[in-house]
Amino acid sequence: MKLGRRAFLQFAAGAVGGTLLSPIPWQLMDDSAIWSQNWWWRPSPERGEITQAATTCMFCDGGCGIQARLVNKSRAILLQGNPQNPINAGGICPLGAAGLQFFYAPYRVAQPMKQTKKRGDIGGLQYISWDEAFTMLSTKLAQLKSEGKARTVAGITGQRRSSMDDLWQQFFAGYGSPNFFRMPSQADSLELAAKVTLGQEVPFAFALESASYVLSFGANLIEGWGAPGRMQAAYGLWRRENGEKPATKVVQVDSRCSMSASKADQWVAVAPGTEAVLALAIAQILVKENLYDADFVKSHVSGFDDWNDAQGKSRVGFETHIMSPEYAPEEVAKRTGVEASKIRELAKEFAGSKNAVVVWGESSGNLPGNIYHDLCYVALNALKGNLKSGGTVTLAPTVPFEPLPGLQMDAAAKRNLEEQRLDLQQSPRARLNGNGLYAFLDAASKGTPYPVNVLMVHEANPAYSLPENKLFQTALEKVGFLVSFSSYMDETAQQADLIMPNQMALERYDDAIGVPGVPYAYYAVASPILKPMPGTKHTGDVILALGKSLAGKLAAALPWTDYQAYLKKRVEGLAASNKGAIADRAGMELWKLQPGDLVQTNYKDGADLWKKLTSGQCWYGAPVSAAQKIETTSGKLELALSSLSFEDLPDAGDKVYLPHFAQLSPSGDPKEYPLLLVSYRTMSLADEYLPNPPFMTKTVWDFVLKGKELFVELNPQTARSLGMGEGSRAMLKTPQGELPVRVHLFPGAHADAVYIVEGLGHTAYDQYIQDKGVNANSIVEVQLDPVTGLGTVWATRAQLRRA
Amino acid sequence: MKEENKSASGKGVMGGIIFFAGFILALIIGWVVFPNLLYSQKPQPMNFNHVAHQDSSCEDCHAFRADGTYAGIPKVEKCKECHESPMGSTEDERKLVEEYIQKDTEIPWRIYSWQPDNVYFSHAPHKAKKVECKECHGIMGSEKTLPAYKDNRITGYSKETMKMIVCEECHAERGVNNECELCHK
Repeated sequence: MKLGRRAFLQFAAGAVGGTLLSPIPWQLMDDSAIWSQNWWWRPSPERGEITQAATTCMFCDGGCGIQARLVNKSRAILLQGNPQNPINAGGICPLGAAGLQFFYAPYRVAQPMKQTKKRGDIGGLQYISWDEAFTMLSTKLAQLKSEGKARTVAGITGQRRSSMDDLWQQFFAGYGSPNFFRMPSQADSLELAAKVTLGQEVPFAFALESASYVLSFGANLIEGWGAPGRMQAAYGLWRRENGEKPATKVVQVDSRCSMSASKADQWVAVAPGTEAVLALAIAQILVKENLYDADFVKSHVSGFDDWNDAQGKSRVGFETHIMSPEYAPEEVAKRTGVEASKIRELAKEFAGSKNAVVVWGESSGNLPGNIYHDLCYVALNALKGNLKSGGTVTLAPTVPFEPLPGLQMDAAAKRNLEEQRLDLQQSPRARLNGNGLYAFLDAASKGTPYPVNVLMVHEANPAYSLPENKLFQTALEKVGFLVSFSSYMDETAQQADLIMPNQMALERYDDAIGVPGVPYAYYAVASPILKPMPGTKHTGDVILALGKSLAGKLAAALPWTDYQAYLKKRVEGLAASNKGAIADRAGMELWKLQPGDLVQTNYKDGADLWKKLTSGQCWYGAPVSAAQKIETTSGKLELALSSLSFEDLPDAGDKVYLPHFAQLSPSGDPKEYPLLLVSYRTMSLADEYLPNPPFMTKTVWDFVLKGKELFVELNPQTARSLGMGEGSRAMLKTPQGELPVRVHLFPGAHADAVYIVEGLGHTAYDQYIQDKGVNANSIVEVQLDPVTGLGTVWATRAQLRRA
Repeated sequence: MKEENKSASGKGVMGGIIFFAGFILALIIGWVVFPNLLYSQKPQPMNFNHVAHQDSSCEDCHAFRADGTYAGIPKVEKCKECHESPMGSTEDERKLVEEYIQKDTEIPWRIYSWQPDNVYFSHAPHKAKKVECKECHGIMGSEKTLPAYKDNRITGYSKETMKMIVCEECHAERGVNNECELCHK
């Protein structure tokens, strides 16, 4: 039989009919739809048992309790605040919430690396084994030590409130180098202010939760000042009214209408950098109108009346000094731009409020302040009697650990070692020795009196985050060997000769010793909630291993097998003190604790305390009254700096001994640079060791960062006079350098200033972080405080011209 | 003319037969050949004999967690409770002990009812409404060998993966909400 065209069509028609009645077309249609939903790149969440693991957040030193949501106990999918923690009470900041991105980040350093080409050449960084990396470093350190050059080894850490800091100190002391520094912090100058006034080198703490009136001089209260988690919780309390207690009144003195200013009850706009003189004007009114706490001043303050110095010379006291016409409201009004009547009103309000407190934070709240200005604010608190027992200002309590095993070094040897510290070798020598990182960098860049052969950088990224970061770069040119312990390929790691990657914050044992600004004693342990990346190692373990390899004194000073054992031993020591208790339930209002309150211990022994701390609970103790802890020679709070000598400044008068307005003059010609560049921080941008995780960058306004362009804030009037409008492209030039920016018109900006955000302009990491905006640190100017030698930043002269 | 008519009717019958042949062939391909082509049979990593575990109840292994979520197929940890060392002498048990329990690795079971990621399914409300396991999963308790796992070559899902229409029908029959967001959150 021959099949023709007709038969073929008939067969085909039948086949089509049959196919339509079979599952083929329908099944294929359905399956191809499903197939199209399953491209290989589509993320597929892991399924399994969901558990929670509680720990302490280590993304900053705010000490928040956090919880991670885990799938199959191994994959973290969410970080949130731990409601049981008294600091943040369940709250979390954007950095913590986005923090998991650091764990999964592609820019993590997966294994040790060494530079095989020129320093800074990323292509030259090659993976090496841990054995090789360790041998490289330990051989170098052993050699320098045997040559008597131990002091040429230096270190910088960004983790000042953890046992890591103590371990580093122990290592450096045992090794024989005094050159160990921390990244700058407001605590640097607060500690020194407490040292000269109270004889105690610990920072101040503020009972903000119980305050009824908060007078903030530039402290960016809800944008990262102190501990962000605690400040969020405190803000919640301020805004809550109850029967006896009205909502707390918050007054923000600031040159810019920051978030803190806009959320305050009142924003007092001042000229940039003049907050301290306003404080002095308020002090004058308090003294003049007898509105200060005369009882407290009489019983607890020295230097208020005229006083005699060590040579018996009579000096002017604060009472006389503050009456200077310089601090009269009318005079201060001219300087600050705040009307005299307003200053009087503020003074009366402050004096009339029962629990008023003064807080402050120049240098965008995270850097040391001008010591004289710190003292102005301390004086204002003292006049109000805030430092007495039960007052709003206390001293940060210490956690009663057992001392670390002693180093066999006598006092003379210790002092000798101290005196060799590079920052102190710099001239002119500071009168108060603090964390002189800038002076150290200066000495390192000169290579005198001795060079820095090895610099170890831990949990810090000074090449990016240090204000005037080129100072680090310049110093680096003379540094023989840079070791980075960073978990991430950051700007500093890129410059390193050797990278020994630390485990990231969620993978390691760590701890938080106290919380910035919080009055009660606090201790929390961070335990690993995720398996560490195989090629990383806890820096603590590296230090301990170095100690063993270098033997001698160091081995005795660092006897622990590993970092976990070291922490455990510390916790056992804390338990042995039999002080403090575990916060074991949600809603504990620890801020209600008063100095001297008895805290009933609720842990059995060291093992029990360790178990509780590693399960995410925290230890707390009672606050410490400032007035009861005064250890000055006079036994009183010293408003006059009687312990310091200014004999070398015979013409300076008595003012140098007293809190006064001592604004440092920025460099550059005001004609060439008519504006003042002021940097600010926001909660949407991380500006220290950690970069901005991409999730967080999503929360940045498009008038701060649009595409790759950063916007500076400019008052509309100023912009008009410069011929600029919203979005204008401009070059921002300071004596330190220039950067391309765009202009955002902001009526909350002071007319004399231009404001730049911190935290942008990274050059390292990955495509989602780098090249977004510009780095403010590269054009700001750091000025060394003449008394403390600490690097301070308040403003930099700047010009803005159309690009 | 008559001849032609006859011839035409003969052609018509012939045409019908050809049409029918095509029709039948397509049906055979569609209903018999195609399904076998569409699904590839993939072996499970080892056999599991449900009958041999009759001494324990279903919930001993297929349990709900404390938070109400369903644990599904038990982890090796569970097997280890009894099989730390072999209890019998079957090849499958040897495999279980040596390759999974001793090495502490999970058994890569192929899951018959694996739903796509865009489907939110919770066992808990179904259990609360007394829907029996067998209504969706069949009677597994009497299986000596695991049924073949049929993998859809196009979608990558199992043949047993419940389709949306089945969910919807059951919900409709029982008067349960059928809104999109119920399952596609």
